[in-house]
Amino acid sequence: MHEGVPPGGALVPELLARANAAVENASGEAAIELFGGMTLVARGAPLDLGLEDGARVRLADGERLEVPASRALRVRYVAVRGALDVPVALGGRGTLLVAGLGGWQGRPLRAGDRLPVGGAAAARGSARPFPLAPEEPIRVLAGPDAPRFDASAIEVLQSQPFTVMPASDRVGTRLAGPLLVRRDSDDARSAPLARGAIEVPSSGAPIVLGPDHPTTGGYPVLATVLRADCGRLAATPIGASVRFRLVALDELRERVLL
Amino acid sequence: MRPLGDGAVVLARPAGVSARALEDLLRAWPRVHDVVVTEDQACIYFDPSSVPADPSAAIAKLAPGEPEDVRRVTIRARYDGPDLDEVASRARLSPERVADLHASSEYTVAMIGFLPGFAYLRGLDPRLELPRRATPRVRVPALAIGIAAAYTGVYPHPSPGGWNLIGTAVGFEPFSNERGAALRPGDRVRFERIG
Repeated sequence: MHEGVPPGGALVPELLARANAAVENASGEAAIELFGGMTLVARGAPLDLGLEDGARVRLADGERLEVPASRALRVRYVAVRGALDVPVALGGRGTLLVAGLGGWQGRPLRAGDRLPVGGAAAARGSARPFPLAPEEPIRVLAGPDAPRFDASAIEVLQSQPFTVMPASDRVGTRLAGPLLVRRDSDDARSAPLARGAIEVPSSGAPIVLGPDHPTTGGYPVLATVLRADCGRLAATPIGASVRFRLVALDELRERVLL
Repeated sequence: MRPLGDGAVVLARPAGVSARALEDLLRAWPRVHDVVVTEDQACIYFDPSSVPADPSAAIAKLAPGEPEDVRRVTIRARYDGPDLDEVASRARLSPERVADLHASSEYTVAMIGFLPGFAYLRGLDPRLELPRRATPRVRVPALAIGIAAAYTGVYPHPSPGGWNLIGTAVGFEPFSNERGAALRPGDRVRFERIG
């Protein structure tokens, strides 16, 4: 990140882990992150595929599998036993779209792409259960810039649901809901950002940063989603809603840091 | 020192301490996975279940001053940007003069952020300072040279952007997949006008 490269990784790491676990891959092995639906065909050998719901499918050479879009999830994962054999770039195999870097030729997959498979060692152990629990609020810590907001903003954040908007992507989840009022209209000089930070442009409509977030930015951050809840928020489908709940850093953490 | 979620902490950057010294110290700090340094802050990133010790005491011991291995880089530039005339008009200068002023300054890399390899360069002639555009462009081409506030910079990749575009960098690769960012905080940069 010190070179301006976002942290990257799966939009919902817990679901990637489930897909990989279904085919005995290590949890972070390269797999397909799927927005919408797709059809796959095995070419040249049988394929073992794992899906984010834990299902495992064996395809014979030439056999196809349709993976429909999910209505309950923003994104799906399709893992193959042995993992996708794409080159490592900047220490990972994921795709950074803004830089045209990594993954499969630095771009989204398209029809006709033939992806090489295999080589990764099998890993034991299964992925932890990942309860989506859509009715459970997303836990946040008060952000570094709370003083730059109206005193009521943190209450407004928790008071009503926010809807996930279609413009959401790996850079950020865009939300619509009650406006979060800033005290100032100017954006500050650039500050460090993190996955889960809830930044608020002057429009008052928040953006929850995702894995491909810019490393720095000028919008104030009202609150930041706990790491354990980032995946749950990112898994929320377009058009569905989330609620937020403010929590405090636990005492143990404060003793270590201060 | 303020938490940025439970996996990052933002620290103040002491005046006079180089971004590089701070970056090097924090990248080597136990349990720190990654670091971002800006003009007045530093942020350490870590696993929430494995929190680093507070580095403040070590930061306070860093001596002020520049790193020893600062590089001097020249970037060739054509002053052909779509906003050159507007910048000139707002500065009450001719476009020629804007180009000359931009190319005659020595800049220092203040920080890397916003995009892979995007270096914020300090040292812009005060006559050229102006705010970002009210409406950002949906797409700024790669290698566009922009100015905003007290900074200038070269866009490494096509991206949305709000800076005022005055030119194009030639023969310069701000970020490569193999080598990463071309510039580091503290490096000195000059633009050499070729058009």
